[in-house]
Amino acid sequence: MNATASAAVSVLARPFARIPEAKRRRLGLLLLTAAALAFPFLHDNDADVDSMANAAAYATLALGLNIVVGFAGLLDLGYAAFFAIGAYTYGILTAFQLQPEWSAFWEPFHFLGLVAKMPAETGDGSVVHFTLSFWLGLPLAAGLAAFFGILFGAPTLRLRGDYLAIVTLGFGEIVPIVVRNWSDLTNGAAGLNGVAAPRLFGWSFGVDARPYYYVAIGMVALLVFVSIRLRDSRIGRAWMAIREDEIAAGTMGVDRTKFKLLAFAIGAAFGGMTGVFYVAKLQTATPEMFGFPVSVMILVMIVFGGIGSVWGVVLGAFILQLLQSWWLQDLSEWLHALGRLVDSSMLQHIDLVPSIELIFGLILVCMMLFRRQGLIPATRPQPPLTFDQQHAEIRRGGFTDLKLAGLGGDVRTGAAALEVKGLTVRFGGLTALDGIDLVVPTGGVVAVIGPNGSGKSTLFNAITGLVPAEEGSIRFHGEEILGLPDYQILAKGIARTFQNLRLFANLTVMENALIGQHARLRTGTLAAIFRPPGTKAEEIRAREWAMEVFAIFGNRLVPRAAQMVSGLSYANRRRIEIARALASRPRILLLDEPTAGMNPAETLELAEQIKSLNGLGLTVLLIEHKLDVVTTLADTVYVLDHGEVIAHGKPDEVRRDEEVLRAYLGRNAQASMAGVGTAHVA
Amino acid sequence: MHDDASHNAAPASRWHDAVTTFDLLLQQTINGLSLGAMYALLALGFTLVYGILELINFSHFNVFMVGSFVALFVLQGFGLSGQEVILTGLPLAGVLLATFLITMAFCGGLGVVVERITLRPLRNVKGPAAMITSIGVSYILFNVILLTVGADSKNFPNPLPTIRWQIGGATLDFRVVLIWAIALLLMGILYMFVQRSRMGKAMRATAQDAEAARMMGVEVDKVIMMAFFLGSALAGAGGLIFGLYYNFTSFIIGFTAGLRAFTAAVLGGIGNVPGAMVGGVLIGLIEAMGGQFIATAWTDVIIFSILVLVLVFKPAGLFGRIAPNKS
Repeated sequence: MNATASAAVSVLARPFARIPEAKRRRLGLLLLTAAALAFPFLHDNDADVDSMANAAAYATLALGLNIVVGFAGLLDLGYAAFFAIGAYTYGILTAFQLQPEWSAFWEPFHFLGLVAKMPAETGDGSVVHFTLSFWLGLPLAAGLAAFFGILFGAPTLRLRGDYLAIVTLGFGEIVPIVVRNWSDLTNGAAGLNGVAAPRLFGWSFGVDARPYYYVAIGMVALLVFVSIRLRDSRIGRAWMAIREDEIAAGTMGVDRTKFKLLAFAIGAAFGGMTGVFYVAKLQTATPEMFGFPVSVMILVMIVFGGIGSVWGVVLGAFILQLLQSWWLQDLSEWLHALGRLVDSSMLQHIDLVPSIELIFGLILVCMMLFRRQGLIPATRPQPPLTFDQQHAEIRRGGFTDLKLAGLGGDVRTGAAALEVKGLTVRFGGLTALDGIDLVVPTGGVVAVIGPNGSGKSTLFNAITGLVPAEEGSIRFHGEEILGLPDYQILAKGIARTFQNLRLFANLTVMENALIGQHARLRTGTLAAIFRPPGTKAEEIRAREWAMEVFAIFGNRLVPRAAQMVSGLSYANRRRIEIARALASRPRILLLDEPTAGMNPAETLELAEQIKSLNGLGLTVLLIEHKLDVVTTLADTVYVLDHGEVIAHGKPDEVRRDEEVLRAYLGRNAQASMAGVGTAHVA
Repeated sequence: MHDDASHNAAPASRWHDAVTTFDLLLQQTINGLSLGAMYALLALGFTLVYGILELINFSHFNVFMVGSFVALFVLQGFGLSGQEVILTGLPLAGVLLATFLITMAFCGGLGVVVERITLRPLRNVKGPAAMITSIGVSYILFNVILLTVGADSKNFPNPLPTIRWQIGGATLDFRVVLIWAIALLLMGILYMFVQRSRMGKAMRATAQDAEAARMMGVEVDKVIMMAFFLGSALAGAGGLIFGLYYNFTSFIIGFTAGLRAFTAAVLGGIGNVPGAMVGGVLIGLIEAMGGQFIATAWTDVIIFSILVLVLVFKPAGLFGRIAPNKS
């Protein structure tokens, strides 16, 4: 059945398939715009145009929440609060609620047309009437909502996802309560009345649905544009990195605090703007318009359309809003007509409109159970690789043809690149690292070995700022880095991989490598939106650099650049982790068991590639269990046991060290090990 | 529902200031303990499920609400309506026992069904899918009651005899004592079950490390089902207590009570069974005192502020969190 359906679609789509993808998209967009503009003329029914305007307003809300939930992965259940803040900002500044006494202070505002002078109702003085323009209200409310977004977001930054949801829910409830109780400002539960309709060149929108429709459509277009530009930029990638794996995002240079707050702020700004539009259209605002059900409705729209999918959430918002205000009514009327026809009084009295929230609940459950990606998934399946592309060339001898300008380039000197002194890390009562001393010379390769639980990964975590150290110092090219946050440590030039792979699994190989470059790129929010030539050039250079890094691994990653990481083999994922770290142009590369899970041929291939990288002047510190890899690569080996360095020196010396043998194999095994060379110790 | 807490406020006269404040404190302590008993029962459901699945189960809000309606229907089935019929002695005990048992069994079953149909398929899905689903289930329950029973609040039968004791200036009602006794009994049974029984031990093991428990032969699916059953049954009891305490029920009661109970669970350290009980009582007292000495209109703001402050500054709660060790 499904196959037939998709076959039918492909037959129907055949005439369009010949048009190139980019052109097809432009054509689709053009048709959509034309249809949106022509709608009020084609369908001359004021109530339906009004429904469409409301639907568009909800689409802008959904787009805003999508930034927070879809892009940054922060489940916000109180999003309607920002809608309320925007709505009341504009409402209070145009209604007759606040009427301070007139004084000279107001003269400049009067000159700007923001306030009017009115005779007071009692007494003979004058009072101020606020007359903020709708068009100024939009950015003002966006700014104010963004401020509150940061205010509400800040305390939740350290919370796990599910707690974040409940705290935002709390804030979402507090805002309407404050609105209800602060009646001097908001007129409480009775609501603000007499909110001014927008005016354009002296002409008031009044109650005609059409001008509102066009403003709403304009806002949807604007926010779709902004969402897409942000998504496809350094900013959007940082958000998605946080969504996929917060720890990896930090070690790849993403300042989580900053980008989470940015997501809250931008999402809130969208909500604030929509609030202005909504009250200007209704010309009233009550606390009930912004409660938990509204937040849930926006969430349902996103879930229905596709979490993280820009066009998906717009579609979801339109479908659900029109279902509520238009189709359910029609459907009820049809049922009534049917009831009259078959003379069933039950059918004649059915009203489907109140069941909308039940439908919302069913949609949430069914989408999560059966189609989590929504109507229009955020990511599209990539075409499979051809047989040729899949065929890996096994490369021996590393690489010689790549320059990789900007990577490493450090000359092998005696000077220490990384110097760890007296490093002590405790977890509660457990001392994981006990006064570690370790030096990685510039341009050298140092290996750390030791039994499981000896503190190797903790050492890496301490160097990269993931666990706090109690004592000691870590100097990188003479500069103390202990205590710096993880993203700053990456910016200094220390990049790492993880033993258990921490890739951004639902992003492409290319996107992973681009996130690796986060700290080296400059694009800010405005540049991402307006995309000036400098930003465009930076983006192109970043992609070129990523491809150059992929070429280190021959043809294993290059043809897979556009593939989703989650679909790739384990060995390739290990390579992507290394590529992602290298993309950040580090001066030292920390590899945590880079060859774990690889077969002997792959292991050798990778070891040689690492050697080539070192040949370009890249300093390497690696944890490795396979002794042949250690022998091939390392100049110096440190052996850790119970959080202490028990031996260090050249690989050959260390292998003969008695204490090392004891740590690995116990006292009795010493004799039998004496002759064994390159066996795998662990 | 917030208004009841402050009804007993006596007009403060300058002459008896000290006495009046003490009486108010006493009265609000009595009120707060009753609310607290209800929140504690509800909080246990959050804590049991969160302890094992790390899931904030929003459907719990409205399982509680459904419970109060089931209780209403059962009492109506016994021919009780409004406050006219007063029972005493054995008939009272029989009716109450039957109502509690039926309500708890129904809600427990409802919780199990919700888990089996909507949450189990998502157990290994990363991200907020399960939480979003539980919001959806909560919405469905809410609207099913709204659409079938109606939006107006329902008068809840109260067959309890009006016996009152005067303690200083405060009044202690027989029904309050009954509520305390029932809540204590249920919590005691739950606590003993979790601590002593084979299944309780399996639950605690699963909360510590589900994978290890599974390898040790614990049937994790059964344990989770049990957690849902017990939590939802207690929520049902909470729903019945709500009706007895406030003399009404309505489709909207789940949200506010649910959030307060969740706050209680967080306050006590989520996943921590005794913590949830103490947290519930604390939230009840805060609600009663806040309503008396600050303003009823701000009760929710106070409670949400506590929720935010605890989560931000002491996420393990007052008594330490017991939650799965996920690395």
